[in-house]
Amino acid sequence: MDIFSGLMQGFQVALSANNLLMCVIGVVLGTVIGVLPGLGPPATIAMLLPLTFKLEPTGAMIMLAGIYYGAKYGGSTTSILLNVPGESSSVVTCIDGYQMARKGRAGPALGMAAISSFIAGTFGVVALMLVAPPLAKISLAFSAPEYFALMVFGLTMVVLLAGESLIKAFLSMLVGLWIAGMGTDLFTATSRFTFGRVELLGGIDFIIVAIGVFAVGEVLANMEPAEPAEMLPVPKGLRNLMPTWDDMKRCRFAFVNGSVVGFLIGILPGAGSTIASFMSYGIEKAVSKHPEEFGQGAIEGVAAPEGANNAETGGALVPLLTLGIPGSGTTAILLAALILWGFKPGPLFIQDQPALFWGLVASMYIGNVLLLILNLPLVAVFAQLLKMPGYAMYPLILGVSIVGVYTADSSMFQLGLLAAFGLFGYAMRKLDFPTAPLVLGLVLGDLMEKALRQSLMMSQGDPSILLRPIPSVLLGLAVLLLVGPLFKKFNAFRVKVIDTEA
Amino acid sequence: MSKFRTIHAIALSVAALLAVPAAHADWKPTKTVEVIVHTGPGGGNDVLGRAIANMMEKEKLLPVRMQVVNKPGGNGAVAAAAISEKKYDPHTIGLITSVWIAGPLTTSEAKITLHDLKPIAQLVREPAVIAVRADSRFKTLKEFIEAAKAKPGSLKQSGGSVTSRDNIVRLSLQHATGAKWAFVSFPGGGERVAALLGGHVDIMVIEPQEAGEQVRAGKLRVLAQLAEPRLAAYPDVPTLKEAGYDVTTTPQIRAVVAPPQMPADAAAYWEERFTKLHETPSWKKYLHDNQLEDAFLHAADLRKSIVETEKQLREQYQLAGIKTVR
Repeated sequence: MDIFSGLMQGFQVALSANNLLMCVIGVVLGTVIGVLPGLGPPATIAMLLPLTFKLEPTGAMIMLAGIYYGAKYGGSTTSILLNVPGESSSVVTCIDGYQMARKGRAGPALGMAAISSFIAGTFGVVALMLVAPPLAKISLAFSAPEYFALMVFGLTMVVLLAGESLIKAFLSMLVGLWIAGMGTDLFTATSRFTFGRVELLGGIDFIIVAIGVFAVGEVLANMEPAEPAEMLPVPKGLRNLMPTWDDMKRCRFAFVNGSVVGFLIGILPGAGSTIASFMSYGIEKAVSKHPEEFGQGAIEGVAAPEGANNAETGGALVPLLTLGIPGSGTTAILLAALILWGFKPGPLFIQDQPALFWGLVASMYIGNVLLLILNLPLVAVFAQLLKMPGYAMYPLILGVSIVGVYTADSSMFQLGLLAAFGLFGYAMRKLDFPTAPLVLGLVLGDLMEKALRQSLMMSQGDPSILLRPIPSVLLGLAVLLLVGPLFKKFNAFRVKVIDTEA
Repeated sequence: MSKFRTIHAIALSVAALLAVPAAHADWKPTKTVEVIVHTGPGGGNDVLGRAIANMMEKEKLLPVRMQVVNKPGGNGAVAAAAISEKKYDPHTIGLITSVWIAGPLTTSEAKITLHDLKPIAQLVREPAVIAVRADSRFKTLKEFIEAAKAKPGSLKQSGGSVTSRDNIVRLSLQHATGAKWAFVSFPGGGERVAALLGGHVDIMVIEPQEAGEQVRAGKLRVLAQLAEPRLAAYPDVPTLKEAGYDVTTTPQIRAVVAPPQMPADAAAYWEERFTKLHETPSWKKYLHDNQLEDAFLHAADLRKSIVETEKQLREQYQLAGIKTVR
């Protein structure tokens, strides 16, 4: 199917009353959780996933994706007005966004964040639409050894970019790998780490780990008393929100930079939207004619990262939909969602499910327009959410999490697991362990083990099957990336890329 | 007065006791019936369970509603445990597949086996077909097996777990012919097909419906079918026997069971209701639409069939070197 007819079909799907409504719900919900600090897209999507079983999958996917990219729009509002990131991907927006707001330019900062998000977000969708179908054709030639090498490379990137401490990221991933190994082994029908419990024969459900670590853990961490931050007011009237013509001209390069860097980083496993926003901010600063203004309220410092984190969405969906490989916590949950609904993300996905793929793409065009409206004229309404007290919000999140897990298979054992992983997630936050490697270790580790053993079954136990061209390049890169941090210069560079204070 | 009351009470209870057998004979469900399945929402038996609930309602076979309860995990072990916890309960039934027979054979954690539950009726047998890529050099199953004999281990089959039917078919064919080819496990059906379409494996056992889509798209060719007689959708494809391979392949079944010690009249009621359901046009249409084989068996025959299947599986596993625990 060519792109044009695909897109036509997609708009037919996305513009049906039901799917349009799902798109609106998704982006509004996304904006809300984007604005609210302490509740992110992985937590929200994980929490809502069990409740989408009864929905028609295309609509449900449109909604969950809406939450995913909608949150990236909303996150900047909090960064600019409160100097607290609404989302981790909006951390860097705090730097210049908040300075602009302090200097009385909150309006143009908010406006520019929305406009840049729209431009780059739309670029991301266009690129996704152009790149994914041909890549899916190529990836049909990928066999188990190629997949294994991709997973190893992906996990290496995750560990490398998850946080300042490599050891902590590595440990977190190992716990994920361990959980992935639980249950009945597909290849030998042997039980592993079941502790004699029937409930563990099927392994631990990824969704429970995700809801526990992300949603419950986040709630527990947020319940600790924090110093209230002072919120700057949103200027009244649409005119006061619009950046000046001069601002737009200054941001020309930032739009391109954000779009391209965001999309490319998105495709890369492990490096999520937070890193995309930091990279594009760094590039923007490096090429600027007046780098001294960065940190003092340079509008490019808002445009570039906000663009990058939105273009990242399109990029991240490429490996998810064509290879079935997620690169971040949120896409890992989207993968679980697709599998639960009975789809098979992978090389055949676009061909087998054209309505879902093109419907999703079309809904993202619509969603980006909706988000521009939500985040320009209506930004003041959403900013009011920041006044919502914790005692109203946190019980709600816990309630939805518990109901969601229980309705899936009405089992108290699973609720116990949820509680355990919630506490574990909280402890990880307190001890400064990154949670993404755990979740990705769980998802990718399972796939990685299977790919390795399939490879060896195909070659009758000969490991040289992993030395085919693509796997050997990827495995070589992974080794280099792991050895790299042993050298001071490389490690300093790595820390600089991910360092949130930079 | 009080004496009279006691006598009265005794008389009543005697009457009640005497009335019991009569009441039992026409036991009827009085509240919502739970149908326990071992898959999550959208899984095979979940879908079948919901379809049965709809048909029972449409054909007015039950005075109450049926509600599907999902107890996924452990290849049926979690659901088996859930059913056995409902001992005596006439308002609970369960839907099983052959996985429930295979699971406990290899997993010691599965404490409850089908022998602990009460068989009600077998409903269907699931056929399968053996497929290769449309451009494969193998035009018949015989050509494939001869090639596998000529170069042992060089050909590959994609499939599910080692305990699955896919592998049993392979083991039986290997055993009967002396050919050898590799079995590569993939957790999802989509990956198995992708591996075949991508040319990474040579052959697979696949559901007739799924194969049909790929055949129509010109991507797969079907060499043989695991069905008896031939499926309506594959009139020109030989069955295994017709292809010259008269091997036992344990059939993939779906059946109804009940909790242990469900009262005999309730068990009889359910057996009778499913017999009725099996005769309805809705049911026939459902089987046709989903390319399932009608394989209705009454409780006594289902029990025999379970014992027989278990014996066959155990032998197959032992031949293949898969560790069995009971």
